[in-house]
This record gives sequence, structure tokens and C-alpha cells, in this order.
Amino acid sequence: MRKVLMVLFILSVGLGLQTLAAKPIKLTFNTLFHEADAKAMEKIIQMFNEEYKGNIEVELIQGRWAQYYAELRLSVLAGTPPQIGICHTNKLVEMADYLTPLNASPVGDLIEMAGVDPANYVDAAWAAGEIEGRHYLIPLDTHGWGLWYNKDIFAEVGLDPENPPRTLAEFIDACERIKAAGYYAFHPAEDALPRKLRRAWYVFFWQMGGQLFDEAYTHATFNNPKGLLALQFLVDIFNDFGWNEPGSNGYNQFAAGKLGMLVAGNWFYGTAVKSGVNWGYAPMPNFFGTPYTWGNSHQLVIPLQPKGTPKEVYLAAMEVIKFISEHSYIWTMYGGHITAYKPAAENPELLASEYWTRSGKWLNEMAQKGLVHYPINHPKGSELEHAIQAQIELAVNGVISPQEALAKAEEECNKILQGG
Amino acid sequence: MGLKGRGAIPAPFSKMRKRIGRFFYRHPGVEGFLFALPYMALWAVFLAWPVVYGIYISLFDWDPLRGSRFVGLANYLELFREPRFWNAVTNTFKFAGMAIPLILGLGLVFALMVWGWGRKRRGIVVVQASLFFPYLLTVSIVAIVWKWLLERDVGLFQHFLSSVLPSAPVFLTEPAWALPAIAIATAWWLAGYRMLVFQAGLEEIPVELFESAEIDGALPYHKLVHLILPLLKPSLLFALVLTTISAFRTFGQVLIMTEGGPGWASEVLALYLYRVGFDYFDIGKAAASGVVLLFLILVITLLGVRILGLKSELQ
Repeated sequence: MRKVLMVLFILSVGLGLQTLAAKPIKLTFNTLFHEADAKAMEKIIQMFNEEYKGNIEVELIQGRWAQYYAELRLSVLAGTPPQIGICHTNKLVEMADYLTPLNASPVGDLIEMAGVDPANYVDAAWAAGEIEGRHYLIPLDTHGWGLWYNKDIFAEVGLDPENPPRTLAEFIDACERIKAAGYYAFHPAEDALPRKLRRAWYVFFWQMGGQLFDEAYTHATFNNPKGLLALQFLVDIFNDFGWNEPGSNGYNQFAAGKLGMLVAGNWFYGTAVKSGVNWGYAPMPNFFGTPYTWGNSHQLVIPLQPKGTPKEVYLAAMEVIKFISEHSYIWTMYGGHITAYKPAAENPELLASEYWTRSGKWLNEMAQKGLVHYPINHPKGSELEHAIQAQIELAVNGVISPQEALAKAEEECNKILQGG
Repeated sequence: MGLKGRGAIPAPFSKMRKRIGRFFYRHPGVEGFLFALPYMALWAVFLAWPVVYGIYISLFDWDPLRGSRFVGLANYLELFREPRFWNAVTNTFKFAGMAIPLILGLGLVFALMVWGWGRKRRGIVVVQASLFFPYLLTVSIVAIVWKWLLERDVGLFQHFLSSVLPSAPVFLTEPAWALPAIAIATAWWLAGYRMLVFQAGLEEIPVELFESAEIDGALPYHKLVHLILPLLKPSLLFALVLTTISAFRTFGQVLIMTEGGPGWASEVLALYLYRVGFDYFDIGKAAASGVVLLFLILVITLLGVRILGLKSELQ
């Protein structure tokens, strides 16, 4: 009897262990994506879950953009972080403490163990993921602003719809003609939210060769003739030039067929298609010297995991990250962001897609030429940007002069940087 | 076993019940306390404890990963030195100064309208429901709807106003108009609930008082000032406390409608706190501004109670 019981016990333990072993590793992937890019990521994760059925299962949580970084930090502190997350390149300095260094994780060099080859990624994007020898980020994409224009309005005012303006002189001519025909000529900042106006000013300033801060981030370096000229240009667009009006929403104006040219991100693609407007897309014109545009890069991360997290979980997370990289042509086709994984950028399906031929290739061209300029990269980046945008917005709305705006923004930024 | 019929209780339990009954009879407060206990436990865990913990972390340079450091009142001193903080405090008072009378006034007008129209009139329920409806919406929906209404290019409100007044302000982009516009949106959202509170108060007023007033020749204005408003004091107090708290804590509609702009023109204390805490991740300083906000709400509410002479109503 005892022997029978022993056999039964061993069998039940064995069965139990088998059941446990058969259970897939469950991972959570928390992103800040919404609308088109959220759908694109959903497609990729669905493919992953089908391919890895029974081994790894990814639960995708998306859509909350505004509090994303706060949530990510708090989840790390609470000991319940997702196993995979997203980090903008310029946020790395603020977030590094909350992320797993992939080449020095508690279970070893994950980059090597997972067989991730840095040579497959756009060099600048890969290099941006490192701080003091620790590598935190796996590049996903480059995204940024370009020029959307209404081909019908161009034709109506005698401009070549296949040849959008590239230089300042061509641009001014185009704006004046569009204005004379009774349309809004140009909107430089999507829906004109404060942060968008700030980005528009960055673009003009960067194009003149301006730098926002000194290299060591000890003080602001934008309150100078270049900064002033850039801001005056931005203010005049909405005021003296009469190309648009303060407080106007470029997205709505363009979709309603009332706007000639709009500076907006690649995420505007879906709206542009749905609007029914006969639109074209071009790289950012060269207003002031080097045709920089504003942009950024989404990168994949493993948030800092609680102590004792098994090696299998880390490796499974890396497997997901690798899969996303390899399938990031889908990310570009449906989400609009330009993949940072070189082999995916050569995918024939992507290259033949409507998105790529109508707009993606131009954004890719800007990225390849190094014309996508990333924003402030500092632990107090958010605070500095708020300080700048508050004054830029007031200047655009005509409440204060550009000189006052830059002086106030400089004072605020210096206080933040110098802890005053 | 001595069961005497349906529902009879066995002897030992019956004795226990009697004892318990006697206990509660001798200690009348205990029963109420026990009923409130589940709520109080939840209140302590989810409301009181976070407040106490918030006060605690306001005394630290809070960084759990690298180690938090006790800094005493340094977070408060840093706040008080910051012009942006004082701007946020001023904006909070400005907003409260506009929103509280608007919400209460509109709620009272709605209540008087519905009450005066009479409960038995046809369609009163529809009117009442329409006036109450905005309160059912979430803050994000209210803010998005009003942002659209006031939008420069496609906003209905802006469109009609511009057709009447060619130089009409663009509400959300002009510093002087941003806060009033948010206050109007907030009043539209919250007045419905105050209407219900005032209606309940109005129903409590004996009809005889109005009849005697009419015999004495009182005009509607006299009835409102000398009869309705004094007898509405308890409802007014309740609505005032509720509205004061919600006005001082205003956050969602400001974030969505103006992001605190133009400039810092509509950045209220709750939005400032949110940015310091969740954008700049300076949790100690954010907790300190939370404590200041709590203190402000407490003082203003108590002052309101005292100034309006409502202490007896509270008791």
C-alpha cells in the first residue's frame, strides 16, 4: 500500500511540474502609443503571441500618454513594473534609474544573450541608448515633423503641386500667393498647443545653427540674435505676415481644406488621408541654413525589475523586443514612424506601401541625412521645456514681445539649471 | 430542542442576544460606530493615511531608489520662493472667486426655476434631467466639449460670438479670458447637482410661510431675500463646502482646455502640483504643495462657514 501511495505521489508531483513547465511566461508590455501607432503595435504583438503560443504571452497595455513616465516610475517603485516599456531617447537621462541596463542586467549581458546585433540599428539611435557604458535602449523608430501641403490650393494659386517650396524665398512666395487667394497660408505647429509652438521655434532656431544650452547645461544660450530672429519669424507668421492667426488649430484648418501648408508629424497621415484633401508631403523647407526638423525616437526598454526576477523573464522580454525590431516595417507602415532596424527598412512590402511612397520616404530621407533634431536631453528637461513654452506662447499670442519672452525664458531656465 | 415555531431562537443564542441588546442599550454610541466601522476603515486606509503620508514625504527629498533624505521644511521654503507657485496660488483664488458664485448662482437659479414652475407641470422632469445631465459627464468630456465650443476655427460659440462682435476675444488663448472660460465650463458642469441640493432645501420650506408672506403683500424679491435664502442656509452650507473644495482642487478641465496657459495664466495649484510631481518627479515638493492646498481648502471652508454665520447649522 505504501509503495502504491509513493508511486501515486511521485506521479502527481511529476504531472504538477509538467503543468507548471507548460505554462507560458506572461509578460506585460506597457506603451504610450495611441490611435494609429497603438493599432500598429497591436498587430505586431498579435503576431508574436500567435508565433510563441504556449511559450511567451504578451499582454499589451496602451493609450495613456500623458502620465506614462510617471506611471512607469511608480510601477518600478511599487515593485510591479511591466517587463517591457517604451522610452523616448531624450527621456533616458531622466529615466535611467528606473530602467534595466541591458548590457549589465542582474542576470548578465542581455544584448549578447539575446543575440541582438547593434549593427542592425541606425547608428545614432543605438548610440543614444547608452549612459556611462550602460546600454538601456533598443531603438524602435525615428519620428518627426514634415511639411504637409494642399495640392489643390497649390494648383489654384499657380504653384507646382509636385514641387513644394524648399527655400525661404520659395516658401514666402508660396505663402503670399495662398494668402492672396483667401486661404490660411501656413501653420508651423500642428494644433498650436504650447509645446508645439515651442517645437516650431526650435526648428527655426536650430536651422540657424542655434543651441539651446551650453554643452554642460549650466545656462541657456538662446537669448541672442538667432533666437530672437527665430521667434520673431514664428510670431510674424501668426501676426504681421497674416499667414495664420494666433490660437488656430492647423490640423483642423488643413483637414477642412482651408490651409495651404502645415508642419505636422508623421502621425497626421491617417487624418490627412481621411480628410479627403488632395495632399502632398515634403521634407522641412530650408528656412535659415540647415533644414533641420524636430523629431524624436521611441526606444524599447526593460524597466527595472524586482529583485529575484528569473532569467527566463528577462530573456523572454528580449525575445519580444527582438521580434518587434524584426517586424518594425509593420510599425512604419501602419504607425508612420520610421523603423530604426535597418533590415526592416528594406522590407519590400513597406517600400511599396502607400504610406512610404506618399510621405514616409521623405521623413526617412531627413532621418538618414541627420536632419531630425532631438529635443532637450537633461534630467530637468520637462521643467526647462515648460519654462520655454510658456513664454513662446505668450509671444505668439501677442501678450509680450519676443525680446521679453526670450529674456524671461532664459531667466527661468538658468534658475532651473543653477538651482536658484 | 425546544423550538417553539418558525424563527424561534435556541435558548443559548437567545440569552446572548439579550446580553448584546442590553450592551447596546447601555452604550448607545457603539452601535453607530460599528455600522460606520467598515467605511471608517476604508477611509483611514485610502484617505487619511495618504494625507498623513503626504505630509511625511513633504519633509523629504524623496527618491526611494537612491535613498530619500530628510530636509525638514526645505521643500516648503523652496515653494514659497518660487514665483510660479505664487502665480498658481493666485490663479486658484481667481478661479475659485469666479467659479464658486457661478456654480452656486446657476444652481440656485435652476432650482428656483424648476421649483417655481411646479412639480406637477408637464415636462418638468425633462427640464430637470436636462439641467442635471452635464453633471453625469466626466471632466475630460466636459473639457473637450468646451474646448471645441471655444475653438478659434471650428468652435460654435466662438463662431456666433465673432459674428456679433468682430473683435471678440479668443477665450482660451488670451490670458485675461482663459480662467473665466474654464469657470463658465465648470459652472455648466457642476450646477446641476447644486440644483438638486437646493431643490431638496426648497421642498423643506413650509408652504404656509409663503402664504402668510403673500397675505402681507411680499413681492417675489422679498420672498427670495427674507424667506427662501435664510431657510436655505443648510443647503447653501452643504453646496458651498462642496463647491469650495471642488473649485480649489480644479485640475482636469484646466489641463485639457489650456494646459495652464497661455503662459502660466491659468495654471492653478492642482495643475502645478501635478507637474512638479509627475512631470518633474519632485515628489517631496509636490507633496508640500499638496499640503498647502489642503490647508487653503480647510481655512477657506471654515472662513466661509463663519462669515456666512452658518456655525449653528453645522452643529
